[in-house]
Amino acid sequence: MKRILACIDASSYAASVCELTAWAATRLEASVELLHVVRRKDAVAARKDLSGAIGLGVKSELLEELTRIDEAEGKLAIENGREMLAKAEKLLIAGGVSEINRLLRHGRVVDTIVEREADADLVVIGKRGVTSEFDSNHIGSRIERVVRASVKPVLIASRKIQTPGIAVVALDGGSASLKALDFVVASPLFTGMQLHLVAAGPKGTADKSWFVKAYSKVVDRSPSCIIHIADGAPQKVLGDYMSARRDAILVMGAFGHSALRTLIFGSTTTTMLRTVRAPVLLVR
Amino acid sequence: MFSIATLRREWLSNPRGDILAGIVVALALIPEAIGFSIIAGVDPKVGLYASFSIAVIASLVGGRPGMISAATAAIAVLVVPLIREHGVEYLFAATILMGVLQVIAGFLRLDLLMQYVSTSVVTGFVNALAILIFIAQLPQLINVTWVTYAMVAAGLGIIYLFPRLTRAVPSPLVAIVALTAVSIYGGLGVNTVGDMGQLPSSMPYLLIPDVPLTLETLRIIFPFSLTMAVVGLLESMMTAQIVDELTDTPSNKRRECKGQGIANFATGFLGGMGGCAMIGQSVINVKSGGSTRLSTFVAGSFLLFLIVVLGPLVSQIPMPSLVAVMIMVSIGTFSWKSITNLKTHPWQSSVVMLATVVVVVWTHDLAQGVLAGVVLSGLFFASKVKSLFTVTSDLSADGSCRTYRFSGQVFFASTELFTDAFDFREVLDRVVIDMSDAHFWDISAIAILDQAVLKFRREGASVEVVGLNEASASMVGRFAVHDAPDTSKNTNGH
Repeated sequence: MKRILACIDASSYAASVCELTAWAATRLEASVELLHVVRRKDAVAARKDLSGAIGLGVKSELLEELTRIDEAEGKLAIENGREMLAKAEKLLIAGGVSEINRLLRHGRVVDTIVEREADADLVVIGKRGVTSEFDSNHIGSRIERVVRASVKPVLIASRKIQTPGIAVVALDGGSASLKALDFVVASPLFTGMQLHLVAAGPKGTADKSWFVKAYSKVVDRSPSCIIHIADGAPQKVLGDYMSARRDAILVMGAFGHSALRTLIFGSTTTTMLRTVRAPVLLVR
Repeated sequence: MFSIATLRREWLSNPRGDILAGIVVALALIPEAIGFSIIAGVDPKVGLYASFSIAVIASLVGGRPGMISAATAAIAVLVVPLIREHGVEYLFAATILMGVLQVIAGFLRLDLLMQYVSTSVVTGFVNALAILIFIAQLPQLINVTWVTYAMVAAGLGIIYLFPRLTRAVPSPLVAIVALTAVSIYGGLGVNTVGDMGQLPSSMPYLLIPDVPLTLETLRIIFPFSLTMAVVGLLESMMTAQIVDELTDTPSNKRRECKGQGIANFATGFLGGMGGCAMIGQSVINVKSGGSTRLSTFVAGSFLLFLIVVLGPLVSQIPMPSLVAVMIMVSIGTFSWKSITNLKTHPWQSSVVMLATVVVVVWTHDLAQGVLAGVVLSGLFFASKVKSLFTVTSDLSADGSCRTYRFSGQVFFASTELFTDAFDFREVLDRVVIDMSDAHFWDISAIAILDQAVLKFRREGASVEVVGLNEASASMVGRFAVHDAPDTSKNTNGH
């Protein structure tokens, strides 16, 4: 049986993660592992003590005091985590998912997700976490790290979800985008959905060998697929195409370029995640 | 390892707390750096440059964010004879070699040896260190007027009572400033830092130690470098463990080994003495809210800033105020609980702890103390495991065959127990030694089994060893004499 790892936190994205997970789980007939990571602050608890004096038994006293502070915060965080998971589970059940496994873990968010995704076929996560929830012009700091570290397809939920009706596959001739296309063709996630192949490029792009190859992969499964090629920056072409179709899900190869190129030119993936207000499936 | 996320976490997760904590720590570093330069018999600038350079470099390349490294007592007490006999240039050379040895230790994963250092040894180590720090203050307290004692007492009073008023200002700083003011305006005639030697007036600069590059030089510095490297790593690993515990975060001990090495290597070229992590100052750091590399970095650079910019003022600081701060560090480092624990802990642990302390205070060498402690705890462990050993035996109905059943651990310490278990004077045709529940650990164990088998054979009994577990059997197969076909020939003349 397939398994979906759905990652939630206290942000408002939790609801759309659940909705999207329910959609994917019913299509894949998958079980769901619902993950929330209880985090502690990296810094030691602030005690507003700059006296710098150390006296008898300072080590054990300090350890006890820090433990006490962390313990109180930790208990609260666990409590909240349990509630969050219970709420999410209800949403999933309402969405028709039958097999749900709730999981509360301590640790770093990215590390934990990477660790748990080993048994999963698909990871679902919100576009932003609670720490950057309202920073709507940026993507959450952890998403990129999750996607870069992950080897599984990652489905990224936007704040509002419409049940996906069509799948838009972004093509750029790179191997990452062809892999994404292979995934779309093979996965039951997209059974019965209309496929749209979108590429940015000058006239004649459709005759390029990579595009022909891509088209030939799709045509058997879905002869009615729609091709859209427009001249311009890929970000803009895709962005325009997506915003005209509210019920679309965008599928793209993730981070096809080297980290160095990304550092200099920016990453198409990151830009798309930021601008598109629809679910995005990133395939590694 | 060097991803942007890691960098951000290790440097910028808590900048405000880290910068404040770094400043507090810098103030606690000054007395130690100056104090131990004086112990070692060099100018205060040697210790101050070292503290700056070690702290800054360790913050960049160390494996334990939030730990404070600088010139320390543990190293200073080791190098006294080297400086006395050969001069300070040899200290720089020894520091460079110390760094090289520590980097090699990092590559050889010698940090893993820390597993064999028991809690009792660690407790003994920190207690011995606290005592060393205290003893190091004594020269400032002998043959002085009552004014010195009064100032030390006043300093300690301010350090411990001022936090009751406010915790927003480091009380050691208040003590130093107050006592300096008193000593300047009162004309008290106590020793000041300026009397102790040259303070730095500029940034440190690169230098090559002025020593002949000969084997003779190596012969002089190598023993010192080796001990410095060992002591430095020991204190650093123990401090890392304490910081791990306090912050509940993991550290990379291997990287810390190499980091300490790189820091010392570079420090030697900057005219500084060797150093390592500091337990007291690291605790102060965590207590003040510091936990990332930034706080260590700030501590080191703020220290240099203070010294270079405020040098003339620093030279006015009366020594008694620094003594007070060092007594505070000594008190904070000592594990006071270990004294009450003497009553409740098993006597072996207490002996190990005390032996470590005594050897260190006797030799002024923490490495020897730890070695003594580790050896002792090994012995105690062996004697405990030795008793995990029982023998039963029964005689067959006709009285011609006896079966000995052994269970437990057989190793070098079990020789006596093992041989005593047999009654060689009983007349038997056949002896069965059943080892189903026993484990043979080393060749000493095989040797005593051999001995017993051959002894029975000489008394005319046939001997059968049964039920050896796999590991034991392979040991017996490889090393035992009694199973070899030409046994009788081999043992002729025994």
